[in-house]
Amino acid sequence: MPSTAPSIDSSKPEIDPSQVVDVGVLKELAKRYLVDALNSVNGPKTLVLDPSLAGPLGLVTEVALLKQHGVDKMFWLEPGPLQATTTNIIYLCRPQVQWAKLIAEHVKQHTKESQNHVYTLLVVPRESSVVKRILEDEGVLGDIHISEYNLQFIPLEDDLISLEYDHAFKEIWLDGDETAVYNSAQALLTLQKIYGLFPRIIGKGDHAAKLKNLLKRLQSQSPRQAPGSHTLSEKIDSLFIIDRRVDMVTPLLTQLTYQGLVDELMGMTSGHVELPASLLAAPTAQQTPSASAAASTSAAGRTALTKEKKKKHHLTAANDTLFRDLRDLNFSVVGANLSRHAHRLDSEYQSRHQAKTVPQLKEFVGKLGGLQTETQSLKLHTGLCEIVDPQTKTEVFNKSLEIQQNLLALYDVNAQISAIEDLVAQGVDVAVVLRLLCLASIVAPGIKPKVFENLSREILQTYGYHYLPLLLNLSTLHLLTTQPLSPAAQSLKLPLSALKKSLRLLTEENETDNDISYVYSGYAPLSVRLVQCVAQKGALLAAPAPVGEEAGAVPKAKAPKTRSHPIVGWKGFEDVVASFPGEVFDVVQAPDGGATDSSANAVSVLLPREDTTTTVVFFLGGCTYTEVAALRWMASQMRGRRFLIATTGIIKGSSLIEDLATSL
Amino acid sequence: MDDEENPTASWAAMPDSSAFYRKLSVYQLQWPIHDLSDYVIAGARYGGPLALMRDATKMLAMPRMGSSSRQSIQIFSSSGEAINTISWDQGRIIRFGWTFDERLVVLNEEGIYRLYDLRGDYAQHSLGPEAGEMGVIDARIYENGLVAMTGAMPGTSIGLLEVKGWIGGKPISLASPGLTEPPHAWSIVPPDVFISRHVEVLLASEATIIAVDALEAADQHLARGPFLHVAPSPNGKRLALLTATNVLWVVSSDFQNSLVEFDVNAAAHDAGASSGALVQYVQWCGDDAVFVGLDGLTLLVGPGPSLPYFYPSATFAVSEIDGIRVFSADTCDFVQKVPKNALDVFLPGSTEPSAILHDAWMHFTKRSPRADEAVRHIRPELASAVDACVDIAGWEWNVRTQRALLNAAKYGRAFLDSYNPTDFVLMGQTLKVLNAVRFYEIGIPITYAQFVHTSPSHLLVRLTARSQHLLALRIAAYLSMKPDAVLKHWASAKIARAKKADGSSEDDATVCKTIVEKFNQLGGGEVSYADIARRAWEVGRLALAIQLLEHEPRPADQVPLLLEMKDDKRALLKAVDSGDTDLVYTVLLDLHRRLPLGDFFRMVEDGGPRLAPAANLLQVYARQQDREMLRDFYYADDRRVASAILALEEAVGMDDPAAKAASIKAAQKFFSEDKGSAFEAKMMDENLRLLAFQQELEKDVDHKVKFVGLSVSETIKLCLVNGLSKKAERVKKDWAVPDKRFWYIKLQALTQLGDFEGLSQFVKSKKSPIGYEPIVHHLAETGHAKEALAYVPLVEQKKRVDLYAACGDWQAAGKECIALKDRTRLENVTRMCTDALARRELETMLRSFG
Repeated sequence: MPSTAPSIDSSKPEIDPSQVVDVGVLKELAKRYLVDALNSVNGPKTLVLDPSLAGPLGLVTEVALLKQHGVDKMFWLEPGPLQATTTNIIYLCRPQVQWAKLIAEHVKQHTKESQNHVYTLLVVPRESSVVKRILEDEGVLGDIHISEYNLQFIPLEDDLISLEYDHAFKEIWLDGDETAVYNSAQALLTLQKIYGLFPRIIGKGDHAAKLKNLLKRLQSQSPRQAPGSHTLSEKIDSLFIIDRRVDMVTPLLTQLTYQGLVDELMGMTSGHVELPASLLAAPTAQQTPSASAAASTSAAGRTALTKEKKKKHHLTAANDTLFRDLRDLNFSVVGANLSRHAHRLDSEYQSRHQAKTVPQLKEFVGKLGGLQTETQSLKLHTGLCEIVDPQTKTEVFNKSLEIQQNLLALYDVNAQISAIEDLVAQGVDVAVVLRLLCLASIVAPGIKPKVFENLSREILQTYGYHYLPLLLNLSTLHLLTTQPLSPAAQSLKLPLSALKKSLRLLTEENETDNDISYVYSGYAPLSVRLVQCVAQKGALLAAPAPVGEEAGAVPKAKAPKTRSHPIVGWKGFEDVVASFPGEVFDVVQAPDGGATDSSANAVSVLLPREDTTTTVVFFLGGCTYTEVAALRWMASQMRGRRFLIATTGIIKGSSLIEDLATSL
Repeated sequence: MDDEENPTASWAAMPDSSAFYRKLSVYQLQWPIHDLSDYVIAGARYGGPLALMRDATKMLAMPRMGSSSRQSIQIFSSSGEAINTISWDQGRIIRFGWTFDERLVVLNEEGIYRLYDLRGDYAQHSLGPEAGEMGVIDARIYENGLVAMTGAMPGTSIGLLEVKGWIGGKPISLASPGLTEPPHAWSIVPPDVFISRHVEVLLASEATIIAVDALEAADQHLARGPFLHVAPSPNGKRLALLTATNVLWVVSSDFQNSLVEFDVNAAAHDAGASSGALVQYVQWCGDDAVFVGLDGLTLLVGPGPSLPYFYPSATFAVSEIDGIRVFSADTCDFVQKVPKNALDVFLPGSTEPSAILHDAWMHFTKRSPRADEAVRHIRPELASAVDACVDIAGWEWNVRTQRALLNAAKYGRAFLDSYNPTDFVLMGQTLKVLNAVRFYEIGIPITYAQFVHTSPSHLLVRLTARSQHLLALRIAAYLSMKPDAVLKHWASAKIARAKKADGSSEDDATVCKTIVEKFNQLGGGEVSYADIARRAWEVGRLALAIQLLEHEPRPADQVPLLLEMKDDKRALLKAVDSGDTDLVYTVLLDLHRRLPLGDFFRMVEDGGPRLAPAANLLQVYARQQDREMLRDFYYADDRRVASAILALEEAVGMDDPAAKAASIKAAQKFFSEDKGSAFEAKMMDENLRLLAFQQELEKDVDHKVKFVGLSVSETIKLCLVNGLSKKAERVKKDWAVPDKRFWYIKLQALTQLGDFEGLSQFVKSKKSPIGYEPIVHHLAETGHAKEALAYVPLVEQKKRVDLYAACGDWQAAGKECIALKDRTRLENVTRMCTDALARRELETMLRSFG
């Protein structure tokens, strides 16, 4: 690497903090609701936790806070008896049948053993008639006080908030259970309560449109007393909603940014990644134990939460400036970046030799703490790279990347399918194979039936016949399609060749330096391109000048940042966005809670402002870290606009596919 | 009332202190009650009504012996206007009291309690079977809940049950106080004033007090008991206790500070009453004086000696936050401490600025020039004098005095350069409202402090509960408040009345129209039409209910009522349209319980695409909770593939091979019945065959190896690893496994075994269908680089460089580059090389290259 390019300017000093949408409020809200819920029960209490909530809760509270509010012990909600020493038992869970049944079992067991407990059930995010019904059928409804813990958006980073629903995609599109849509509307309503009405709501996708309609309806029903809830937001200029179904290509591809790869290869849950303890051993790595890591094990032999030698680490830019610099880089340049940081640190350490006078020495000592933290974080990321790097060098990894890129380029699709078949023969991870196969189905006009049948058979024989429901589910969703396309599949078909041109989905190697496509080394995520259609039209209308000589994969913000343009809807891209499946909408919200169709005229609210404004981008059905990276990069290219990325959850291709496997 | 009366005429000085108390004569009562001692009485705070019930323990001459067992409770306003009479036909009444929203709570010995509104409509709740068995012996009712005392069985303690909020919640058992007998006296400190925010019960037992909350019962180790009266102050910070020897003892509520000790007998004697008179009640007058009621005499006890008030007959007192309301057979009085501002203004000889300002105004009305002089005199303190006058106007009851004070304030204001008139305007508005509701026909003697404490909207609620809709609406408009609650009540009353007429007088459409118009006109945008519709339905006007319900914008309010009205289809549609999945579940679960399964399915299925979300949710629910129902559902709808998947999913979770096979067979059958699923049926055939073969295999190896549950490939591999290559070949043949896949499996199996000899033989046995590159890669990636090298020469020359590099044989890689005459690649290899020694050699090669 001849010259290392400056990394994305992440500190954004030119933004006035008072104009930034502060998502800390959301965390405080989540914390306060929890504390209120705990305090409603008098005296010491035992907390029994739905394991899927451990991650989200860990992001909003610490164990110390729970202890402070009377939580004596914590257990996972899991099969087997529960031995509680306190009279009060509080259950905290999502409204799922399995949890209700476990709770009923506990209560019945305790009654049989004539243990006297007072039960409180906090359902997240709201009370559920199903849970009530099951408790009633089990005959324990009268013994349990049911209430709710309204946990909505949780900040993962200062520009990323998530509902942390792991299965939203599957529930909405496979099961047809639109609870996540409703809950998303409620959560967005809360955002409106805090920050004011979104002046404009723009989006794409049938379910995105549903969500928009629901949001408007709920807003019109919400009581008017709440001050501010019916005035337009001053900090937010619009809400962009995109549903995952609109862009299935992006999550199927292997993410190539640092954080994206860590998620792909090591798996991140609620911002946490499991690392070898040795990487975290240094004194600075002491984490405040998150709630997720602290539920204790009981005598009944409950599963130990912390696995030996592995530790959960919260990867966040909030306490790790190095990570802020690295997370969104293409992995290929992370190594170079790390070494640059190492050199800088080293020279800063060296500066102690120049410290001749006492004041100079004092200054150095003052910096020492920061340097040690940085050293620790450098060690952490070097270690992490050492784990990730070999996995990106394997034959299978590179083969699958090659197939992906060939498929996107529509280069000899048949050959790609036989390459996929070859991967099946090698018995590589089933998720890898299915991701590629789905991608092939989407880009090509379906797979030939004979070929498909043969491939299916290969897959079932290799991985087991119990994968048949998954294959059928993927077909139901038209993620796997055969020729000729059924009318339903035809209506969902993405005209990829046309879109590649009109939205420049594929870029030449030398262009990636100056475009969001750097995140996939040459492919620009369709979802983020759509955001660009609305929020950064310039990037799409004029192809950026190639940056010839320097071939680093870091996009450089060399050109002076352009001033962001006001949001004027899809203007200029109406035909393009209408050309593929998914409802297109664009409404201007009036302060009285009503909304008018923007196509008429609503320029008055869209006058360019000199201050920084925030555009909220909501992904219904989840988004990948790579899409987050691309949006951040977009923001770094503009003056005057930030993005607040909101999502039902962070997803990746493999978990998306695996989620569809079980209908249970 | 005499308007010319001096405001201080009703004042009396507390002996030995600078404090003054005022006894206002609020109302002269014209009611059919002659002796309060014949009744059990409960009074609502904030100038609320009184509930009276004949005291059954008192002997009295019964004029007629009609319904002797019937108990009845009469309700009067504070001005003695009859509001309602409640006749009680349940078990014996233990106690009754008032809620914050002025509903009368009546509790009987069986633990049944009812909440009556002032119109006599009630909701009934129970304290549960436990209370019924033990029997309720006493209770204390506060604004937001009650604590009931249940009787003690031999050998057990009396119990305490708490109910919070008046929504019929499950009672909570408080800690056992460990008493086998009821206490001498007891009381509760409501949660909103107790530090822990939970209710505290104080029981006087033997010589001490036991404090009980949900967690523990703590003996306070007092020795001065037994206590006959226990009364916590309105703010919960102090406690008045009366000993058996009639000594009143006031302590802080944590029992740490003794504040006052007072001999009631001596004081009564001084006041001329017979000594040893029985204390009827001990109540607080605000938070700083205690009011002790004896026969014909009441004593106001402050820090020093007491202030006696004489009454000709028995009295009853309601403690208020800022004083005390005292009822006798023909008066309603209000006793309260005179605040400092009032002393400043009215105390004769006062030279305070406020007094001078008030004086100045008086001079001004008399056109005396001394007015101007007086105001100039107090110029520096004028602003605070104005404030004081405004403040004390709120405290005054006499309209003329109020006006004089406000005028004085206004007069003083004129001399100020800048004065924020908000307080002044608000006070004027508020006084208008207060004077209106104090009028005897309304009969709510609420003070300014109480009005502020309870909020204006609370007053509206109270007025509507008395059906004073017009006044309430006017007040709402006057104070710019939402009229919603009033309108709602009005509409309910309207519906009820419209029915009571003859039925034909007002038809549904007219009533609905009147209500909707009124709401739109008065801006009652937030009124719940569902509540009104429910009311209509309750009085039997179904059509009206449905019409009203159509105006309800909130589906969450529409749906439950529609369900109750058994309008199932509409309920389901509304629920689905709302997008609220929980609401859909509510309907589905209700229908599932009520309707025959066939009808239920038909309703969901026949809804077409519009009800598709409901059908989906039904499946999600059934899949987890009621698979039998789901099977029926799919079967009824001829959904073979879904049935097959369901069977297949179940097979996965099964351990028993026979059951597993049965489930797979079922799946196979369903697939074969579906004409588009021939392939799937075939796969299930294969699956069954595999299962049988695996069972056989396990038998062959004496169950030492577990095959069941593995895939075809995994079975082959496991056979190879366990030396069953014949069997592996058989699987390959029977399941038509392609050569390619078989080679990969065998490569992996042999590598896993470390049988590189075998691998070598196998590879040489015929031309590899997978080429040789993957073999090298596999070996290299599994850590067998040395073995891998043997296969590199079999690969075409171009690719060898990278393969050698992958195996770590840099030298060989370099040589290949030279053989290929490719300098660039040699450079690449050199750069990638991680081995220092090899790198030096590569560099030599590079130099020699040219």
